[in-house]
Parts: sequence; structure tokens; C-alpha cells
Amino acid sequence: MTETATEIISTKINPNVIPHLHIWEWHIPLYLFLGGIAGGLLVITSIMIILKRKFGIGPKDEGDGCPCLAVRIGSILSPVLLGLGMLFLFLDLAHPLYVWAFYTTIQPTSPMSAGSWILIAFFPLAVLQAMLVNKKFLRERNIGIVNKLIDWTENHLTLVALINSQIGVGIGIYTGILLSFFYARPLWSSSILGMLFLVSGISSAAALMMLFAPNEEKPVYSKIDANALWIELVVVGLFVLGGITGPANNSGAMMHLIAGDYQMAGMSYMLWFWGIFVALGLVIPLVLEFLEGAGVHIRFPLIAPVLVLVGGLVLRFLIVFAGQTYHTFM
Amino acid sequence: MAKQKNYGMVIDTRVCVGCSACVYACKSENSVPEGYCRDWVVQETNGTYPKLSMENRSERCQHCEKAPCVTYCPTGASHYAEDGTVQVNRSRCTGCKACLAACPYDARFVHPEGYVDKCSLCKHRLDQGLETACVSVCPTKSLNLVDFNEPDQEALALMNGKEVYRQKEHAGTRPSLYWISARNKPGV
Ligand code: SF4
Ligand code: SF4
Repeated sequence: MTETATEIISTKINPNVIPHLHIWEWHIPLYLFLGGIAGGLLVITSIMIILKRKFGIGPKDEGDGCPCLAVRIGSILSPVLLGLGMLFLFLDLAHPLYVWAFYTTIQPTSPMSAGSWILIAFFPLAVLQAMLVNKKFLRERNIGIVNKLIDWTENHLTLVALINSQIGVGIGIYTGILLSFFYARPLWSSSILGMLFLVSGISSAAALMMLFAPNEEKPVYSKIDANALWIELVVVGLFVLGGITGPANNSGAMMHLIAGDYQMAGMSYMLWFWGIFVALGLVIPLVLEFLEGAGVHIRFPLIAPVLVLVGGLVLRFLIVFAGQTYHTFM
Repeated sequence: MAKQKNYGMVIDTRVCVGCSACVYACKSENSVPEGYCRDWVVQETNGTYPKLSMENRSERCQHCEKAPCVTYCPTGASHYAEDGTVQVNRSRCTGCKACLAACPYDARFVHPEGYVDKCSLCKHRLDQGLETACVSVCPTKSLNLVDFNEPDQEALALMNGKEVYRQKEHAGTRPSLYWISARNKPGV
């Protein structure tokens, strides 16, 4: 049989799009990772506060209405990490001096516009929560305006936490939805990407809390992490299935990710995806945490959370890069 | 509100010889920086040897009627102009590159000065009643500027009875560029 040939020669010389679109470098995956953790931390700490206040469940409070150490540190880290993430977002702008333009308009159809407003809505409430859970220590400093703010709002911590738990979900899911709206890039064009980034953000946040929680609080976060990892594994499965069973655009893009030999830092996408993300970042920590939960003591307890964090970071890099190196909508 | 004008193009690939005059005219008219382009020429060969067919076509931003670059722009910098073209307002563009990711035609680039740039259909010339630089310079009349609200008879006659297509129509972008396929050439 003779081959039917198509040969295309183009004089296009736009360095951002030829030979592949490559517009977002390392800043964006890093922002998505930090944003995901910030959202996850907000979800977990808010729920811990609500569970303790309403149902008396969870690690012991510090006294004076201050929750356990992990919740207090997590509440502070959430806005800090998001701020850091936004800094990377800012650094990626080709014209950072015009960043104000995001905030002089509302573009209802633009996910990036919605996101930039959510991020702004996030800060005051997340900072307030961080202040309220640390009020014992803030009061010692005796800063007039801070004291006043705490006086006004300290009886409403549960309400603040309730709203924050929702905003946390919004931020976590937004990091994936941002990409999934770009239907011109078939790898990203999956409605489950938001879900994937949300659970991944929650598991990374739980892993981070495991790192700095005192020993008696660790098991709580290990359990949260194990559950999130388990759900993430299912969602990753759905993401892959949705891709390979889709039309040529989507299945081609998915195969590019899960079987592609395109390289990232000298290693093929396929190895990154199955070896680093799925095996090292999901399956092994899940087994380790399961064993830990079953009472089998592992000598290096930090291995599981570190692997989870690495997996979460690799996921963002892979998705952002593989989405841009696969050719556009056919 | 109906737009006053609805500019687009009818591009006759039967007569395009791939000379790239449009590309150079655009570069000098719009001071496109070196290493970038707002329009370009594609040469596509198709078929099974020895029955091969070739099409030359000059490509650019499609000035979509449902443009994803406009939909996803967070600042309103990318917008629809009254004359049916899609424009970038440089004094609102942050260079976030959402529009580059959104465009299925890869028509945009980041100008070294920090804003996003692409074919403007020479809006500054249209406003003065002139044709675009590429159209005015095309030696074979392959490029035709058309106001689809009031298409002239010549343009309609050109498309009449021919195989005409738009690119990636299934993307739902309603592009304003129409291509008369080279398959209309005798002997193909
Ligand atoms: S071709 Fe691309 S840049 Fe031009 S209007 Fe359509 S989506 Fe926008
Ligand atoms: S790069 Fe400029 S034109 Fe493009 S989406 Fe961002 S702000 Fe809008």
C-alpha cells in the first residue's frame, strides 16, 4: 500500500508557538502547586477548627481558645504560601507593571479574572483566621488595632472557619479549572482536572502538616493524607481514562503524557508520570501511611509526606509542560 | 446591536504563489519585531504519490466572531472592535498569556515590549478606508478584504460554486477567514 502523505512547510516564526506553544515556564506550575497547598491548608485547618468547636473531635487545644499547634501553623502558612505563589504568577507576567489591570475590571467569562478576584477575597479571611487561632500569642504583643480586631471577631471563629473551608475548596479547584477551560490545549481540556488539583492540594497540605505537627498530632494528618491520596488515585485514573477514551485530540494528548518520550529535565514524560508521580508520589506513600495506620512502625516517618509533596509538585509541572508541548486543537 | 462592519478575508489559494510579499508588507507596515510575525505562509502538500496536490496559503489571526482569546482575557485587553475585528488594547495587556493558550490557531505572540501582539487586520488603515497592507501588496490578488455585512459582488462571485472552507470550524470560533481550496484548480 502506498502511503498518503501530508507535508506542511510554514514560514511562521513566532518563538512562543513554534515548534510548540511554550508560554508558561516554571513560574506557573510552582504557583499552581503553592496555590493548591494554600487551598488545602485552609480546608483542613478550617475543618479541624469546626470539628473541635462543634463536636469536640481532634487533637487537644492549646488553651485560651487556641487550637493545636498544627492547625495554628497551618493557618499562618496558608496565606503565606498563597502570597508566595502569587509572586510567581506576577513574575510570569510579560508586563508586570500592568498588574493593576486585573483589578479594574470583572471579566465574567475569564477564569483568570475570576481567579484573581478569589485570591483577593481569600486574604482578609485567611489572615483573620490565622490571627484568631493565634490570639493568645498576639495578645501578649499588645498591638492596639490587632487586639480590637480580635475582640470584635473572636466569638465568630467557627463562622470564619466555615466560610474559609469553602474558599479553600474554591482556590484548590480553581488551580485546575484555570487550565481546563483552555480547550485549544487538549490535555488540559478535561473537566476533572479541577478535582485532581483539589485533592492533590489537600493531600499535599496534609503532608506538610504532618511534617511540622508534633508527634501526638501526626496520626490525624496521616489519616487525612491517606484518604486524600486514595481519592486522588481514583481521580487520576478517571483523568487518564477520560483522555484515552476521548476523541483524537484528547487521546493523543493523553498518550503524549502517559506514554510520551518527550523529555522534562532529561527524563521522558512517561517515566515522570508513572514512575515519579503515580508510583513514588501516590502509591508508595499510600502504602506507608496505611502501614503506619495499621500500627507497623516505619523507621523514617518523614518519607511519606516528602514523597507526597514531590508528587504534587511534579504533577503540576507535568500537566503544564505536557499540555504545551502537545500540538494544539486539530 | 449589529456591528456596523464585519471585516474578514476571502483567500484564494488557487492563485497564491507563496511569494511572502504579504508577510514582508505586514512586517514593515506594523513594525513587527525581528524574529516574529503577524502573518505567515503555509505550503501544504497532500495526496499519494504520484497524485500530489499542493496548496499555498497566507495565514493570520482569523478575527473569530466567537474568539476564545477574548473570552479568556482577564483584563478586557483583547476585545471585539466595532468593525468586527479582534484587537488588543496595549495599555491594558498584562502579558499573562491566557490568550496565547486559548487561541486554537497559534496566531499570537508576546511582543518584546511586554504586551501581546497579533494581526490587527491593519485597523489603522481600515479606519482610513484603506485596504490592509497584505491585501494591497498581493501580486496575484489571492488576498481579498471583505466586509461580510456588505460583501461586494466580486467577493461573492469569487466564492460562488467553489469548495470554500474555514479552518478548525469545529472549534466553534466562527473564524472570519474563508479559503478557496486549491482543489478547485483544474486538473486536481
Ligand atoms: S485566531 Fe486566535 S487570536 Fe485571532 S481572534 Fe481567533 S482566537 Fe483570537
Ligand atoms: S496577555 Fe494581555 S491580551 Fe492576552 S489574555 Fe493576558 S491581558 Fe489579555
